[in-house]
Amino acid sequence: MKSLVTIREDSVGHWVLRIVGAVALVVVLVWIPTKGGNGLITDVMEAFTLMSAAMALNLVLGYAGQISIGHSAFFGIGAYTTGICVSRWGFSPWVTFPLAFVIAFVVGVMVSFPASRIKGVYLALVTLALALVFPRLLTWRKLAWLTGGGRGLPQDDAEVSTTGFDIGRRAGQMRHFEIFGWDPFGDLRSIEAKTPFHYWIGALMVVVVYVVCRGIVKSRAGRALIAVRDNETAAAVMGVNLVATKAFIFGISAGLCALPGSFTAIRIGQVTPDLANLTLIGAITFLIVMVIGGAGSLSGPVIGAVLYIAIVSKTGSWADDDNIPGVLRPLFAWAKTPPGTGIFALALILLMFVAPRGIVGAWKQYSRRIVRVEPRPIGVPSTVDALAPSVGATPT
Amino acid sequence: MRGSRTIVAAISACALMLAACGGDDDDSSDTTSAPAPTTAAPDETDAPPETTAESPDTTEASPDTTEASPDTTEPAAEAWAVNTDDCVDPDAANAPIEGTVNIGSAMPLTGGVAAAAFAPVKGGFEAYVAYARENGLFEGYDDINLTIADDQYDPAQTPGAVASQIDAGAHLFSGIIGSPNNGAVRDTLNDECIPQLNALTGSPAWGQVEDYPWTTGILVPYTVESKVYATQIGELYPDGASVGMFYVNNDFGQVYVDAFNEIAGDYNLEIVTEQTVEATDSNPPTSQVTNIANEQPDVIMAVPLGAGCISFLTELAAAKAQNAGWDPAVFITNTCASSLILGAAGPAADGLYTSNNLLDIGNPEVQTMPVVADYIAFMEGQGLGDIITTGAAGWTTGEITVAILNQAAQSPEGLTRASIINAARNFTHTPSLGREGVVDKSMGVEDPYLSESLQVLQYDADTATFTDIGSLITEFES
Repeated sequence: MKSLVTIREDSVGHWVLRIVGAVALVVVLVWIPTKGGNGLITDVMEAFTLMSAAMALNLVLGYAGQISIGHSAFFGIGAYTTGICVSRWGFSPWVTFPLAFVIAFVVGVMVSFPASRIKGVYLALVTLALALVFPRLLTWRKLAWLTGGGRGLPQDDAEVSTTGFDIGRRAGQMRHFEIFGWDPFGDLRSIEAKTPFHYWIGALMVVVVYVVCRGIVKSRAGRALIAVRDNETAAAVMGVNLVATKAFIFGISAGLCALPGSFTAIRIGQVTPDLANLTLIGAITFLIVMVIGGAGSLSGPVIGAVLYIAIVSKTGSWADDDNIPGVLRPLFAWAKTPPGTGIFALALILLMFVAPRGIVGAWKQYSRRIVRVEPRPIGVPSTVDALAPSVGATPT
Repeated sequence: MRGSRTIVAAISACALMLAACGGDDDDSSDTTSAPAPTTAAPDETDAPPETTAESPDTTEASPDTTEASPDTTEPAAEAWAVNTDDCVDPDAANAPIEGTVNIGSAMPLTGGVAAAAFAPVKGGFEAYVAYARENGLFEGYDDINLTIADDQYDPAQTPGAVASQIDAGAHLFSGIIGSPNNGAVRDTLNDECIPQLNALTGSPAWGQVEDYPWTTGILVPYTVESKVYATQIGELYPDGASVGMFYVNNDFGQVYVDAFNEIAGDYNLEIVTEQTVEATDSNPPTSQVTNIANEQPDVIMAVPLGAGCISFLTELAAAKAQNAGWDPAVFITNTCASSLILGAAGPAADGLYTSNNLLDIGNPEVQTMPVVADYIAFMEGQGLGDIITTGAAGWTTGEITVAILNQAAQSPEGLTRASIINAARNFTHTPSLGREGVVDKSMGVEDPYLSESLQVLQYDADTATFTDIGSLITEFES
């Protein structure tokens, strides 16, 4: 297939493209909290939550080929770790991120043990059981002293009356967030300050999850994952330790999936078993977001989450005919309910036919007709390496 | 190459950090500005005299309730008044609201068992606003622009729905459904000093006037309802009874159970089993009902959620058929007490006990009452004839919201966010669809709950109507 433009990997043109993309991304990320409304910022935070969870799931499912329908449980572990540590024991919400990661990592490793012996639909059923059991564990009366039972957290007698940052006017409560004396947000009691504050925590979380995922995927461990996904026997023959690899990736994936759970607890200030993302509905949502965006690609979950939230948010008020754009009114006015999830379900079915690798897969396929990035031949240094050999260029 | 990428990553990270400085430069004053009306102006229809006179006359705005000055942060001598010093922007809380009043709300319109039962509330709420508009019931303001967003009963989605409505200029929120959903936005709305009226849940948490002065509830607290049932069971079984509990495993169910357990001993009620169902579980509670049937309790106290009411009653009917001679008295939460839900359960719902403080709209005799006939006619005119029973809760929410706004607009400081919450917390109103003797009343810290009267009812599946058991219970009114 011929392309209009062909660019060699790591050439000047390729780097220009990369920089333009990165700058555009940064501009959008900065524009949202500075110029966007609170509704948009909150929607983006919800997208941050979904994309982080879907990226974590992508490691296990997209790269390692291990089916998991239980990631909602890891999400819940994150939410409840933060909820319990903050509201019951007065921990700083910041501290609960690594704590949630570690706890979910351990649980993830334990889940991986059956994964080392079973695969396919059987593994899916094991993880499905995890997704079903976890919410019941939260509401189990014998654990209510810890989880708050059906009422969730914080309890009326809680040390701190929130599961997030204890923002308020009283002594001991947080009102400003200063970075070396610099107060970038102002009075955090205001929605105009609190929402961007939470937004940047979410953005930071997404960056961390993305960097970790990218680091793994581009490393030797990532190549081992792909080998396991494509052919376990061949991977084992080539020296990949299947048990250790699966345990590692389940652990990392679970740990990363706990981070958006913690973020949710911080953002809404409470955790209850009613949170959809820690039930089976959440597990399926993560799966759909990942598949629509593109399984086995780093940017797929990001695209999928943005699209999901955009559709659900945009159609949230379509229960009223007046809010439906004129052209679409005949299609959706009869339903009298917001059609967001239905549209997404239809999109999923359609995508499976026309783009089984998701939006990113389709983009890669069709964008090649316009711009093709030609892999750099082995032995040829990249432009950056040639320009700045002293900053750590490595021989290829 | 790896090193150069690290530099690029570091630069990007720095850019993200620098960008964090721009979060608070938006003008927050827009929260008090009144956008242009987007709905029809009032005074354009000819309303029957009896309907136009109804709502204003039923609102007994006490002179005492309107003494709060816009600039005064000290409570008035008698009436409770909110302290706007605590607000992020006190000026915005005291700024006059002119023209159209923007009301926001969030309800489960899609997504699971809750949506099936609660979505009609939206129709009732909107219908009352349309009714008030047609009949010129807005006093001191031109119109109401009501926006109800879908949060799918997921507390993580409620903040987004509410934030969008604040952006759009919502002056107040009313009728948000669900305890965790209201809880998820309570801090934000109280910090911003935006009234969060008529939370459509019976959680006792809405009575925390000191900590959350801007949040009020509309339903009878679940604790009161639970105690009413315990009292009634005590009357049915003066020598004591065994009770099987069935409840949804969330805040909603837990509050009922805690209150029931608290008072059960007073009536010699022994709880022999407690069975739970998850709020998101749409499967029939077969095993739970079987476990209850195994204990053969004299009474079942049931707190299912939404469409779960139907599946519980259906399963219970099957269990009773398999256990000849066992016919327990069934008490069920009044959130199930609509002919839409109980009608769907069919004969399985026959004879159960529940409660309500609104009229039984499905009863043909009640339908002949002028106020109910007007209500039904209007709902049918709006194409909502299929939700006249479940829509009544939304209608009443709309009626109380309009009454509060009218009272606030007539106060000396005029219509402001502060005067709205002052009116809501110093409020006396007889709901048009309320039972005889029901008066919604609140009085600051002394009486934070709007409604605490209940009538115990028994359902007749043949006629799909309720029969009063005893008289209206008002002893729990503060």
